[in-house]
Amino acid sequence: MLSPYGLDIIESCLTCKTRSEHLFCDLPAAALQTFEGIKYATAYPKGAVLFVEGQAPRGIFVLCKGRVKMSICATDGKTLIVKIAEPGEVLGLSATVSGKPYELTAETVDPCQVNFVKREDFLRFLKEHSDACFKVAEQLSEKYNNACHEVRALGLSHSAGEKLARLLLEWSSKNGEAIKQEPRLKLALTHEEIAQMIGTSRETVTRLFADLKKKQIIQTKGSTLLIRNKSALKLIAANN
Amino acid sequence: MTAITVFQPMMLYSEGMESAVPRGPLSYVERPERLFSELSPDTLQAFNAIKSVSSCARGTVLFHEGQPARGIFILCEGRARLCVCSESGKRMILRVAGPGEILGLSAVLAGSHHEITAELLENAQVAVIKRKDLLQFLHEHREACLQVVNLLSQDLHVAYDRVRSLGLARTRRPRAPRPQ
Repeated sequence: MLSPYGLDIIESCLTCKTRSEHLFCDLPAAALQTFEGIKYATAYPKGAVLFVEGQAPRGIFVLCKGRVKMSICATDGKTLIVKIAEPGEVLGLSATVSGKPYELTAETVDPCQVNFVKREDFLRFLKEHSDACFKVAEQLSEKYNNACHEVRALGLSHSAGEKLARLLLEWSSKNGEAIKQEPRLKLALTHEEIAQMIGTSRETVTRLFADLKKKQIIQTKGSTLLIRNKSALKLIAANN
Repeated sequence: MTAITVFQPMMLYSEGMESAVPRGPLSYVERPERLFSELSPDTLQAFNAIKSVSSCARGTVLFHEGQPARGIFILCEGRARLCVCSESGKRMILRVAGPGEILGLSAVLAGSHHEITAELLENAQVAVIKRKDLLQFLHEHREACLQVVNLLSQDLHVAYDRVRSLGLARTRRPRAPRPQ
């Protein structure tokens, strides 16, 4: 099948099959019709930059497929990955609403489908459809929650080992793995990217993984990671 | 072992400073009354009708991190410290909220738990609006919805600023001793 970057492009929000799973997309019919008219469906390859921190906001980017890494940068080039956005998330939302510059840099880690809406169109859309306002409020609340989480992780964890343990536990609690005695997760990021998420160096991350494996706390097979000793990992995460 | 986290002093509020966030044009959040004053008198009246004001002593905890959000708090007068805590009791200040600010908005709208702990730094006048009253108000006065969205995005902006300052301002700290 011919399609950009191997993506199965969802042309219309109205016929989108995954719409109901995503908070923002689950809009009432009238709002959805309007939204359909103002959105531009686009495809991006892996490694594409949607917008850069500090740039004037052009509009929102609704992530339909693929994942995007959201990061902040220092002037010396040091990068901190704040979040990996999943389908259903609206990127550049707070900047578009407030008119302030984009807070984060958004770069795709997979081929992605993104629905772009121009700022003026989006603001008009929000004025006309207060249901959409509620959805936006929900998204912003979620982002705020995530940012507070980051503050906690950055400010309160003292070692990279703690932060890595927390991250692994967080990732392992998705997809129903939380209840398992030995949860399994798929490592979607490189050691370098993990280092950028927890604010340390790639070498430290590699060393930490080796340590955890040596202590039989985790086990890796390719890109799948199995947590063998969840309680030990929790102890490390809590700095005990 | 208790670890003491040392912050760059410019990042925290001190008694004399009005605004501790030394960046951006909006370093001090607009009074919500002023924001809401763009609304019609009817809407404002309805908003005032659902508030209940009381005096609270310094040290009062308005809400705890993890507590289900039952209402929003407006600081009519006075200031509150907003922070996040770890399991071991270590505390990280997000920011200090000043008079006119609305607290707990995101948790109340999301219908979830408070992400932060808010504690009064001094005796204050606090207005409380119950969650269901707020939601009812927003349903009946649609124009207020956009204002709420603006408030939330301001909160988020401040939170990201904190993330930025924490994540990038620090140099790599000396390694903690390896657990034996």
